[in-house]
Amino acid sequence: MEEIKDTFLHPAVPLDFQNNYRVGAYMQRYLDGFKEKKILGAKCSQCGRVVVPPRKYCGDCNLVMEEFVELPQEGTLENFTVGHVVLEKGQLNRAEAPYVIGMVKLDGASNALLARLQVAPADARTGMKVKAVWQDQVEGEYSDLDCFEPA
Amino acid sequence: MRNVGIVGIGYTPVFVSKRKDVSIAEMISEAVDAGLKNTGLKPEDIDAYVFGNMATFEGVNMPHLWATEYMHARGKPIMRFATGGTIGMAAFHGAYYHVASGMADIAMAVTYEKHSEGDAQVGLMGIITPEVMAMLAAGIDVTGQSGMGAIGGGSAGGISFQASSYLHRSGASIEHIDAMAALERRNAAKNPYAHLKDPEATAEKIAQTPMVSWPIRFGHICPTTDGATVCIVASEEKAAKIADKVAWVLGVANCASDATTANLIESQITDPAEQLPAIIASKKACERAGIEDPKKEIDYVEIYNGFAHQTLMYLEKVGMCEVGEAHKLLEAGELEINGRCPVNASGGVVSTNSIGTSALNRVTECALQVMGQAGERQVEKEVHKAMAHGWGGLMQYCTITILGDKPKKL
Amino acid sequence: MDKKVAIAGFRMAAAPDLETTRERLVFDLSKGLLDDLGIDRDAVDNFVLCSNDFMDGRTISHVFLGPPAGGYMKDQTKVEMDGLNAMIYATMGIISGQYDVTMVLAMSLTGSQASPYLYTDYSLDPTYDRQLKLLNELSAAALEAKSYLAANGYSEELLDVVASQNLGNAAANPGQARRIDGVSREKVKASPYYYEPLRELHCYPPTDGGCAMILVSERKAKELTDKPVWVLGMGRSTDTYFLGDRDLSTSLSAAQAAERAYAMAGIKDPRGEVALAEIMSLFAHQEPLLAESMGLLEKGKAAAAYESGETAVSGKMPLNPSGGPLGGHPLCASGLIRAAEAARQLRGEGGDNQVKKDGVALVHGQDGVCAQQSAVVILGT
Ligand SMILES: [Zn+2]
Repeated sequence: MEEIKDTFLHPAVPLDFQNNYRVGAYMQRYLDGFKEKKILGAKCSQCGRVVVPPRKYCGDCNLVMEEFVELPQEGTLENFTVGHVVLEKGQLNRAEAPYVIGMVKLDGASNALLARLQVAPADARTGMKVKAVWQDQVEGEYSDLDCFEPA
Repeated sequence: MRNVGIVGIGYTPVFVSKRKDVSIAEMISEAVDAGLKNTGLKPEDIDAYVFGNMATFEGVNMPHLWATEYMHARGKPIMRFATGGTIGMAAFHGAYYHVASGMADIAMAVTYEKHSEGDAQVGLMGIITPEVMAMLAAGIDVTGQSGMGAIGGGSAGGISFQASSYLHRSGASIEHIDAMAALERRNAAKNPYAHLKDPEATAEKIAQTPMVSWPIRFGHICPTTDGATVCIVASEEKAAKIADKVAWVLGVANCASDATTANLIESQITDPAEQLPAIIASKKACERAGIEDPKKEIDYVEIYNGFAHQTLMYLEKVGMCEVGEAHKLLEAGELEINGRCPVNASGGVVSTNSIGTSALNRVTECALQVMGQAGERQVEKEVHKAMAHGWGGLMQYCTITILGDKPKKL
Repeated sequence: MDKKVAIAGFRMAAAPDLETTRERLVFDLSKGLLDDLGIDRDAVDNFVLCSNDFMDGRTISHVFLGPPAGGYMKDQTKVEMDGLNAMIYATMGIISGQYDVTMVLAMSLTGSQASPYLYTDYSLDPTYDRQLKLLNELSAAALEAKSYLAANGYSEELLDVVASQNLGNAAANPGQARRIDGVSREKVKASPYYYEPLRELHCYPPTDGGCAMILVSERKAKELTDKPVWVLGMGRSTDTYFLGDRDLSTSLSAAQAAERAYAMAGIKDPRGEVALAEIMSLFAHQEPLLAESMGLLEKGKAAAAYESGETAVSGKMPLNPSGGPLGGHPLCASGLIRAAEAARQLRGEGGDNQVKKDGVALVHGQDGVCAQQSAVVILGT
């Protein structure tokens, strides 16, 4: 029998969901703090670890973290990368210009926050001191904490 | 083969429409912590976790990854299953094989659904979206494809074909579906972890609910529920140390037929009420459990019934009665909590449906009956052996778990 | 572990675009494998499928894959996502005594997807990372690469060295999807940055593909194959999700998974006993990072090991002789393909890339960003 060359349609499927996630009590406290330009973390009563954003459990101790603490707005850039691409809806595209994102460890925090850095790629240095930059209008949303810049 | 027993379960404090006060991960943690509290186990005692939910409904792909801390699972193996409606039991079987194989001594199956954060009917439509798009792209008119349109209208649309076929073949009537639904809502009122409860439910009351797609009325349909369930299983040696009462796993099986049996397109090849996978899975599970006649040997059944006619239909399929006999048992009151063939004392899926948990809840409810810990919903007769049934996929996939009050003789 | 479960056979497929449907791919893999073993689907008593609804763009997608796999009216389940977990689950079913012959089938058409990275977005915490839109598989890997290089004092050149070795192996492996002739370090270095220090050729290519494998009990192994490859050890672990909590210069999940697999297989000296490793390194830095974490390379000496040829096909510790995921990474199938490639080596069917050493093979699979989850399987003859 003659081999049939498969030809297929490639219908695109606009599988797009509308979801409405609840952030839960811990993340809500964090976002409420944003309304006063405060960064809150959760502290473990056993090991003393402070994690930001706050979350219910200390994974090290498997305990509920009950204490919220306010963290300073300054910290250290522990690690960073210069992005040359952006991922949008699962597609990889070149970025308009290189940009910096990095891990910022706030003074007094035990873990680092992933954040956008307002710094030229050539000027970014691991270990540099950085401080939080807020939007002028804060509304208790993630975008209130705009980025970090050199302190 | 090692013996495996259920040593404890954990539910979220409530199963309701909308848990606005917690995130997905926090809700999961409530059930996990309840499971640990009920068994007196510590997080470090759990060797392995098995996880399941309906990923596409909430638009979350691998929720166990970011819920790891909330299950106390750091440093532990977590295996994720995804089989649709049966996921709860697929995850349970996963936990079972972890212990039966000796890869773990104590394993926890974790399941959840937070329906309020997604769209289950859009999620279900996702099953056939590729076909619809392909047909449209090829210029095929889909307006005449009533089967496809019904599925596109969500689960209730597709299921009406099954219900009408079942009524035709069994001799049952729509009033029997009303009565079955009423019975389950009354049972649900005895279950603190049920969603839709009505201690005063009657067939007449259900009959007054609007017709959705004949013969399925609104009152025959499950709600969308937020909730989480965990089930902890252990090896024979460990189980004795953890729990006084253990529900032993005697046999597990599952079976899948062809997705086109869902009446997906007009060229359907089988009857959606035939449900051969339920018949085969039950036969296999019974064989593995050493059960010759489930009618005589199984004392209690939990049926996965997203729709009330399925309780009757699957009782026949899994071998708890003859074909056409289920609605007669219902009429005679035998399916009630104090009857001879009690079913879904929990209120079933038709009263509570947080999909990820639904098939697992069938197992946990059977376990509670076997252990005599079902509280107000404990059935009158003694339960030595119980059968849990799960249904899902594209209406073509069934799972069975058989539990007993004594371990299997190896 | 005793010789209880064996790989009786496998089939693989991978290409940037296989120009096929999911169902056809699954059928071809399954039927091809059954034909290889001279059996039909009646001889198989359990099917463990592995795919991803988001990648397939279809809810409960495996219901359409069961029938072409041959699973009609059979015991059937689905494990998400990486296929090595599916293989481990299939093995459990056989060790438990319930099944004798199990088909594991993992696949995805990631390469021909309009949005090949979509699933990674859906895998992130919807209440935080998906809102911030900073974390993704690639940006996380870049931070991991940077952390690893800095902690060990390695230069970015190591990434070019690792990638060129992998792509060189891939070019000699007809089963791989990304086969580039004569790929040099310079050529790798000339590819554009994604996130620094990772360049295009340091990263896996989205790939269409799948893998079918039949696992059998000891009893059935004698009937079905002359070259059984035995599962000797298995281990898995999960690290924390939170990137900012982790030490990205090492892999805790891989270290723990390997430790458990070694214990089960009775391996005391991985560097002496492991003849080769197939590692699911999705980015160039992950191969040495994971190999160090699993005790296959000396910590801090990876750069020297690559320069001296230790990790080459002819070296003391050949890593990814198949070319690894840099040569092709069909989501879900990738870890299972690593196992099949390792089995191919142990059967002496490695072709131009055949490792000529005695010993066991280590297989690694991962899920989540920066290998949050790892699975390790030890195979031997
Ligand atoms: Zn702590």
